[in-house]
Amino acid sequence: MTIKINAQQLSMRFKERVLFHIPALSIGPNDAIYLKGDNGVGKTTLLKILSGLMKPTTGKVNAPNDSWLHRAFSRTGRKDVIYLHQSPYLFDGTVYQNVVYGIRYQKESPKDKRAQVITALRMVGLETLADEHISVLSGGEKQRVAMARAWILKPSILLMDEPSASLDQESIQRLVVMAKDLLERGSSIVITSHQKNALTDLCRKQWWIKDTTLIESPLLQVITDATQENSYASSNAN
Amino acid sequence: MSLWQTTLDALALLVSLDRELWEIVAVSFSVSLTAISLVLLPSILFSFILAYTDFRGKWIFLSLVNTLQAIPTVVIGLLLYMLLSRAGPMGDWQMLFTQKAMIVGQMLIGFPVLVSMMHGALQSSDRRAIETSITLGASMTRIATTMIWETRFPLMAATIAAFSRIVTEVGCSTMVGGNIMGITRNIPTAIAMESHKGAFAQGVALGMVLLALALALNFFLTSMRGKGYLRT
Repeated sequence: MTIKINAQQLSMRFKERVLFHIPALSIGPNDAIYLKGDNGVGKTTLLKILSGLMKPTTGKVNAPNDSWLHRAFSRTGRKDVIYLHQSPYLFDGTVYQNVVYGIRYQKESPKDKRAQVITALRMVGLETLADEHISVLSGGEKQRVAMARAWILKPSILLMDEPSASLDQESIQRLVVMAKDLLERGSSIVITSHQKNALTDLCRKQWWIKDTTLIESPLLQVITDATQENSYASSNAN
Repeated sequence: MSLWQTTLDALALLVSLDRELWEIVAVSFSVSLTAISLVLLPSILFSFILAYTDFRGKWIFLSLVNTLQAIPTVVIGLLLYMLLSRAGPMGDWQMLFTQKAMIVGQMLIGFPVLVSMMHGALQSSDRRAIETSITLGASMTRIATTMIWETRFPLMAATIAAFSRIVTEVGCSTMVGGNIMGITRNIPTAIAMESHKGAFAQGVALGMVLLALALALNFFLTSMRGKGYLRT
């Protein structure tokens, strides 16, 4: 299942400091968005607002699955929308306990749940660490566990805050596999990053927060010589 | 009587399983453990609300709770005495000079201590913990249990601090308990009375029980903390 969320007249200010004012934006279905902007422009704040973890100063975010609880109280999260912290928080327990967290009370057999966790951990290359306490993990491994924990819930929208910061190539590739899988299932992803990498290459749209507003544009892909030659050869063949 | 002789007499009382002495210990423990058990859940709930919600007048509430911590136990005892005495508004309940009255008094003493310390623990916990729990779709109950688990060491320390305060308080227990042997005489009221009588041995023996309790609780807390780890 995939959803679309819309927002109107979204603005955020901290006392006198206006972070941004966005007249309108929408995510989904099946969007891949690269959110960029300088430090302190409000990328994290925007993602937290979209995920329902923060309340905007003005404006409204509309999501089809918003519960009465969310409408009544702010900061109660948004169903099917997951926000992934730049530096993820893992609960005190084993890697397995962390990944199973979101599906622990779902109506599935324990065997199915275990299979899902192992699949998720295999995708991020950490199945051998399933029973290890999270304190033994490196920063990159923690990021991969957090991604597996989000992926297992198959969110409609995954908001990834600087997921590739201080990750090695292997870790980035593992995250790419999961992000691609979600996109193939019809989910949407939003990725913030200061550098272009394999994860941001998945994106087809770009949001740029600049001068307190959001500029939306299709993401231009760099055409390499090889792709140019291929397209030339195929057009000649035709 | 020398200090050394008093200590030896106190040890003899403890080892000989003196019935009167151990009855006092039993009253103390049953009253204080009941009080802390009854007040624990409301305190967690209250501190959770204070830590994670914003509402008008929250700071007034917090100031009030922090002030209540500093109220002398004898004042709480006096207020409760006036409420529960025959002429008071709750006189019909006939609770004065019973263990129930002592439990209520100790609950009133322990509640602000627990709320204040637990609120501090929850408020200084990592914001990402609750955000992660919320974003992963946890229910309200699950969020609360997750946060209790994640902050269990400071919460335990708060519980031990509150228990230590109520198990050692004299003022309220004397006022509403009446220090009746076998019914409402607990360790601190007995120590106060015995020392007034000049019978120091029993007072010292009871003091030793309190010291042993404090030591046991702190050993327990330290050993639990040892199993934790530093977050990076």
